Amino acid sequence: MIVDATQGRALRMTLDGEEVRFSDGETIYEVATRQHTPIPTLCYDPRLEPFGGCRMCVVEVEGARTPVASCTTPATAGMVVRTKNVALEKHRKTLLELVVSENREVDVDPLRGYASQEVATLVDEYGARTGRFQGQRSGTSNETDDNPFIKRDYDLCISCYRCVRVCAEQEGDHAIAVMNRGFQTQITTEFNGRLKDSACTFCGQCVQTCPTGALGDIKAMRAEPLPGELKKTRTICPYCGVGCSVDLLTKGERLVGVQPAMDGPANKGALCIKGQFAFDFVHHEERLKTPLVRGDDGELHEASWDEALDRAADGFRRAREEHGRYSIYGVASGRAPHEAAYTMQKFIRAGFGTNYIDNCSRA
Amino acid sequence: MALLSNSDIIEHWKSAAAPLLPVLHAFHDRDGHLSEDALRAVSDGLGIPIAELFGSVTFYHHFAREAGGRDAPRVCTGNICALRGAHELLDALRSEGATPMPCAGRCDQPIPVLRGDKVFVGLTADSLAHGPTPLPPRYPGDGEECVFSAIREPGRATLPGYRNSGGYEGLEKLIKSGSPGETIELVNESKLAGRGGAGFPTGRKWQAVADAEGESKFIVCNADEGEPGCFKDRAIMDHDPHAVLEGMIIAGYACGAGQGFIYLRYEYPETFAGLERAIADADAAGLLGENILGSGFSFRIDVRRGAGAYICGEEGSLLNSLEGKHPFPRNRPPFPVTHGYNQQPTAVNNVETLASVPHIARRGAAWYCALGIGDQAGTKLISLSGDIERPGNYEVPLGLPLQTLLNDWAGGAPHGREIQAVTMAGLSGGFLAGADLNVTLDEPSIRSCGSFLGAGGVIVFDDSRDMVKAARDAMEFFAHESCGKCFPCRIGTQRLTERLAGEAGPASLADWKTEVEDIGSTMRATSACGLGVAAPMITDSLMKYFPDKVEKHVQT
Ligand SMILES: Cc1cc2nc3c(=O)[nH]c(=O)nc-3n(C[C@H](O)[C@H](O)[C@H](O)COP(=O)(O)O)c2cc1C
Ligand code: SF4
Ligand code: SF4
Ligand code: SF4
Ligand code: FES
Repeated sequence: MIVDATQGRALRMTLDGEEVRFSDGETIYEVATRQHTPIPTLCYDPRLEPFGGCRMCVVEVEGARTPVASCTTPATAGMVVRTKNVALEKHRKTLLELVVSENREVDVDPLRGYASQEVATLVDEYGARTGRFQGQRSGTSNETDDNPFIKRDYDLCISCYRCVRVCAEQEGDHAIAVMNRGFQTQITTEFNGRLKDSACTFCGQCVQTCPTGALGDIKAMRAEPLPGELKKTRTICPYCGVGCSVDLLTKGERLVGVQPAMDGPANKGALCIKGQFAFDFVHHEERLKTPLVRGDDGELHEASWDEALDRAADGFRRAREEHGRYSIYGVASGRAPHEAAYTMQKFIRAGFGTNYIDNCSRA
Repeated sequence: MALLSNSDIIEHWKSAAAPLLPVLHAFHDRDGHLSEDALRAVSDGLGIPIAELFGSVTFYHHFAREAGGRDAPRVCTGNICALRGAHELLDALRSEGATPMPCAGRCDQPIPVLRGDKVFVGLTADSLAHGPTPLPPRYPGDGEECVFSAIREPGRATLPGYRNSGGYEGLEKLIKSGSPGETIELVNESKLAGRGGAGFPTGRKWQAVADAEGESKFIVCNADEGEPGCFKDRAIMDHDPHAVLEGMIIAGYACGAGQGFIYLRYEYPETFAGLERAIADADAAGLLGENILGSGFSFRIDVRRGAGAYICGEEGSLLNSLEGKHPFPRNRPPFPVTHGYNQQPTAVNNVETLASVPHIARRGAAWYCALGIGDQAGTKLISLSGDIERPGNYEVPLGLPLQTLLNDWAGGAPHGREIQAVTMAGLSGGFLAGADLNVTLDEPSIRSCGSFLGAGGVIVFDDSRDMVKAARDAMEFFAHESCGKCFPCRIGTQRLTERLAGEAGPASLADWKTEVEDIGSTMRATSACGLGVAAPMITDSLMKYFPDKVEKHVQT
């Protein structure tokens, strides 16, 4: 069944010649998106308050002297809106040419972040690599911030302030802000110091909303030179009970990064430092690959699974016989896969008949 | 006197209205700069995240972050002062730590140098002198003034002097025998429109505030006067401060507001002291505060000083600045009349607009209307500066020919030179030249030439001036003051400056013009506020009136 997107919406307006319905409080952009009328944007992130900075989303409204930003302008009854015409498309192209002219480069590896391809994609769609509007470049990359997670490559920054706004509005950390004004604006922390000396929790949300890759996921970027196609696999972060949806980034057999799922019902694009960045254990060289069993010499020795499981079973059995079933308490690792966690609780509940089971990270 | 401690300052202001700016100024004044320690204290005391507070402080030109910075000289290198040797003066004062500042609003005087709480003027380092704001020149017209009609009365700046020349009579009349509705009706009938730039009808603005739902309502007097070439509001505030207060009280009465703010630009320290004095005097006389003149209506006024940002004259940015937020302009709608200070209904009005109101209240709407010429109602203050024999503030009847003002009233260009061009609206209206100098001073006439009258700053360039250089200086101002919120203005003002300076851009004339026109057209159509919309009037008018000079500029 096709659901009528306008159901339950009482007001009417005209969008590109068609009458559409909307409800009070919706912006023109929201109405258009619902109607599958794409409008280009750069400073927009649906999770954030509309900001109105990039002006890519301008549309023509009958009776208005100049185009209006559709992301910030409320739809009103009887409004006649045109989202595309020669003049609007030319303004959008000019804006993109200006953006290209202020940056060192446009093309960045998608490993930098979830939204990192937005500028390049629009620039190509509008054929804006014309080399026009040459001049000074804006933004200065911060080479001295020696944190292991976030690259601050502001040579590529287009001052959309999505990072600042996501940090304030979604994360509530207010760790970063806008410094100076005009062409000199620059993303900063308190007193322009390092992220690790600021209120930053390294949640990575600023990285993932950045439309240029000016903020880059340093851990994922390590895999840029690796051959192979970048694949995304949807799963749930194992670290805690919130259940944030993530996309695991893999190249071949290698896990190279994590991105939050923007449509994750529990997290809507948010993650914490662990879910975002703490995956190095997966391919860590010290990670155990075979069972180890302690010998009579007191040292750990490699063993077969049968040998190890028998030994563990003996230990559990003895503990239960000597001390009772409540003497056993299971703690599953947040770094184990969900399947292992499930098996672990099953083992305790079914095996010992208790609820003495927990997980190491209950954030 | 013992210095105030951090917590003394915070405690003093914490529960005041719009506390951030006065708190920052208190630390700036105490320490001579804003130290990290001070900002951390403010952040804790007012609950503003430290990164955001730091970022916003860097937005303001005049907050010094280095020890001694507050009192180091700032030399106006604005568009007019640059023509008079400001850069040489700046160099001469470099050893004292001098830095440049954009137009400081004293274009009718020698070059202003701001040192802490005092402004000195002079053309050379050893001739700098401190003195009062000049009074407007004697009225040269054959009509009648409104705003300036009593400003030259002796003692007009004091409460007794003001009352001796009809002051507070209008308020008394309205508050005792009129109603808020009648007050708005009076202003509607006078056809008074905003004198701060946008020209919105004042009565309609007040009506919207009066009609809007809100817990509390506010009047904001916009005294930011940041437009280069404008210095009229300072003349009013220095010589007729009670007219501004009376206008605000009447506005408060009409709109149902209980609190007013005057948002004053940093570069007017003496004006700040004068306004504070006038407010204290009016308070003591029962003209402000609780139960004004026994009417039951209460209203208070607080002055808040800006810290050096032209964009803070734009009303949304001003309101954000007052509220202690990052001073980007706000998205519209909603407008301040419904969502202004603290999201409450707010009338933002220019100083001149408000100072007209007591005269209208006293002498009637018909009297005010009739001051204009032809269809035009009322008067407008023009700040006239640059290459002109008698610079200063002139109150013209709307509809007066520009040539009459330039030549008959102000004596034309000095040294027998010809007037080559003038700017309109300070810089925001770009240039007028050639036959378009025959406009009359009113919006319909000036708009028909692609410009606008706006706040009424007119800068004159004689025939010896390099107009490409004038355009470049103007665009440099807009680039310096662009807030950085929206892409077309943030990048566009920079690119246009580079092209006018010959620092970047195509070598072929046709490509150069296409680039400049394309940037201008996108800025005009898509910028988020009036700054970015207006800035390309500079390049448009340069190319329109001086195509040969543009050609020469590009080809060399
Ligand atoms: C960039 C910019 C700067 C402005 N600066 C001032 C100013 O310094 N003083 C002022 O009164 N209005 C200024 N305005 C206009 C205000 O936004 C607002 O329209 C005005 O204060 C309303 O008062 P009025 O209706 O009495 O003119 C500025 C507007 C823009 C876009
Ligand atoms: S990583 Fe998170 S907390 Fe840190 S700056 Fe980015 S959004 Fe803010
Ligand atoms: S760093 Fe990225 S998200 Fe932040 S302002 Fe720059 S381009 Fe936008
Ligand atoms: S037009 Fe300029 S000043 Fe106005 S919002 Fe945009 S960047 Fe800021
Ligand atoms: S999406 Fe509307 S201005 Fe950026």
